[in-house]
Amino acid sequence: MIQITGLTKVHRRGRAPALLDLTFDARPGVVTALLGAEGAGKTTALRLMVELERGQGITLFDGRTYRRLRRPERQVGVLLPTAGGDAAAGGGHPGLKARAHLRMLAGAVGVPAARADELLEQTRLAGVAGHRLRSFSPGMHRRLALAVALLGSPGTLLLDAPTEGLSPRNVEWFHSFLRSFTVSGGTVLVTTRTPQEAAVLADRVVTLDQGRLVADQPVAEFRRTRLHPEVSVRGPQMARLADLLTEQGHQVRRDGGVGLAVSGLGRTEIGELAYRHGILLHELADRVVEQPVPHPSLPTASGRSGHVLLNPPDAPGRNRDDTRPQPQFGQSGLPEQADQSGQPAERPEEQTLVAQLTAATIATATAAPERPLRAVSLSGHQLFRDEVPESSTVRPISRPVTGPDHRSE
Amino acid sequence: MRVLAYEVRRLRGLRSTWLILAAVLLADAAVAVVLARQLPAGQLGTAAAVRCVTAVVPLLPLPIAALGAGALGALSYGHEVRYPGLPAGRVSYRRRLGLLVAKLAATGVLAVLLAAATVLLDAAVLRLLHAPGARVAALFDPASAGFAEVLRPLVFFVGLTALAGWAGLLVTSLVRSAAAGLLILCAVPALLEPVLSLLLRQSGRVWPAQLRELLPFQYGLDLVRGADAQQLEVSAALDGTLLAAVSVPAVLLLLAGLLAQIRRRAL
Repeated sequence: MIQITGLTKVHRRGRAPALLDLTFDARPGVVTALLGAEGAGKTTALRLMVELERGQGITLFDGRTYRRLRRPERQVGVLLPTAGGDAAAGGGHPGLKARAHLRMLAGAVGVPAARADELLEQTRLAGVAGHRLRSFSPGMHRRLALAVALLGSPGTLLLDAPTEGLSPRNVEWFHSFLRSFTVSGGTVLVTTRTPQEAAVLADRVVTLDQGRLVADQPVAEFRRTRLHPEVSVRGPQMARLADLLTEQGHQVRRDGGVGLAVSGLGRTEIGELAYRHGILLHELADRVVEQPVPHPSLPTASGRSGHVLLNPPDAPGRNRDDTRPQPQFGQSGLPEQADQSGQPAERPEEQTLVAQLTAATIATATAAPERPLRAVSLSGHQLFRDEVPESSTVRPISRPVTGPDHRSE
Repeated sequence: MRVLAYEVRRLRGLRSTWLILAAVLLADAAVAVVLARQLPAGQLGTAAAVRCVTAVVPLLPLPIAALGAGALGALSYGHEVRYPGLPAGRVSYRRRLGLLVAKLAATGVLAVLLAAATVLLDAAVLRLLHAPGARVAALFDPASAGFAEVLRPLVFFVGLTALAGWAGLLVTSLVRSAAAGLLILCAVPALLEPVLSLLLRQSGRVWPAQLRELLPFQYGLDLVRGADAQQLEVSAALDGTLLAAVSVPAVLLLLAGLLAQIRRRAL
């Protein structure tokens, strides 16, 4: 169990913080992924967790901070890129042989040298163990670093971009390894850049954007909201098809010159619709795209910051208002606003205020009774898929948000 | 104990350790060969014998073995800076101190071994090369009177080598770069020796003979000045003030190294 509370890192006074008030939990038996683009603060967060950097906030590993752990190597395995940021360096002296490197660190951890050889076998490096690290590829370095993290047989893993540079085969191996690790009750926190990998790898996805937590979701919800299944349709009469689809209340956007991207409706249904109206189709294909704008943040449901439920709003809130671009509703709904109408704030000055006061929001939400909030974030013409009216019953992939089951923990 | 195991395995696994050791011993042997060839025939003077055995080259700031030990110490710390080990060993002050102490111990032992190997190797070279040989043997015979006179500088030499190794390590811990640490280590004796000898002369003393023979910079100066260097060949005992003068910088260096660790997040 890793409890992360309020991690904050300000590199220079007056600059935007590299990390602002990151709070979430990584539970045992669960892979938690920290998702974010380059520079979102993932590595900084990990370095703050093990106190390699100065910053604010506290990370507890089973109730103790990292430096207060009795045997940190035996409890927490850490994979971090080297200080130079050189991925190929991987943390080992280039003149050392892989076996010597691992045995040396085994000495520091206090495990027998046989454990190092065993891990070389496990990470499929036994064949090249006698070669110097100078000749290792980035993928081999990654695997060696993973072996180092596993040396003390820790119950918790903190891995920074563990699959970066790995070949697909090794990525697969790594995923299965993580599965078996969590099945045996281990806690895993990995960082990743690609949402697709997060969806495959993790059970819980924490999304960071520019140092701020924008979402903390179970993977099912993450898949639904952030990985957005679309059907790409091409043909000569796309304008007509688009009209038909929007009439039925589906989400349609232009995709290139003659294409449409439809979401909220399956391939089969689009095909049938086109057939019934005599529209010629050239292409009809499923695909998964990343939602460009992150989902609004859900206040974390940890015991420390209060348990905040995010439920779909009441009936008036479900009225479709697709054409109007919905305002960015800060990081999460302010309870007062949700009280009034269930509708998001519309005045821009209020929005900026909301955006500035994320932490305050969470605090207020803690104090407020657990009442349904609605947090909606959409950009421009993008439509909120969950608010498709009930008339469209045939929706094989994305289902409407009807219950609090997946949101409450 | 664990950090010691780590440090020993680290030293053993790196090629640079063995290269430095081999290079130092080779250079020592070469210098000893040259010096032994130049020695006059007949009874070997104590000073000349010590210089030959410890392979002291004029104008080098320190004996070769001490330089090698300093390089090992500097690289030992530089390794941790450039290729840090486990984060667990870096975050807490106690653990960093433990690693520092382990490094000091390993470097010290290695330096002592290196010094001993140097002395043995060069003694063998001297014995083989110095012409008739009979006179040399007397110096290295434990029963002879001259033995104690030769032994004391040799003990100093071993101590100097260990001190150089530690200084290399601690200086590198302050500047966090092996190359810079080694350069500073080379520069310090060249600066310190003349200042110290000036101070000593002011107070009416001279360098004790045991140290004069080992500090090549001073020896080099004497060599350049030529004849009048012979007049200074007064054997002064190594009294307390001089010991203090030598040990105060060492203790200050150690304290600075420990203090520098307090505010750091990495070694």
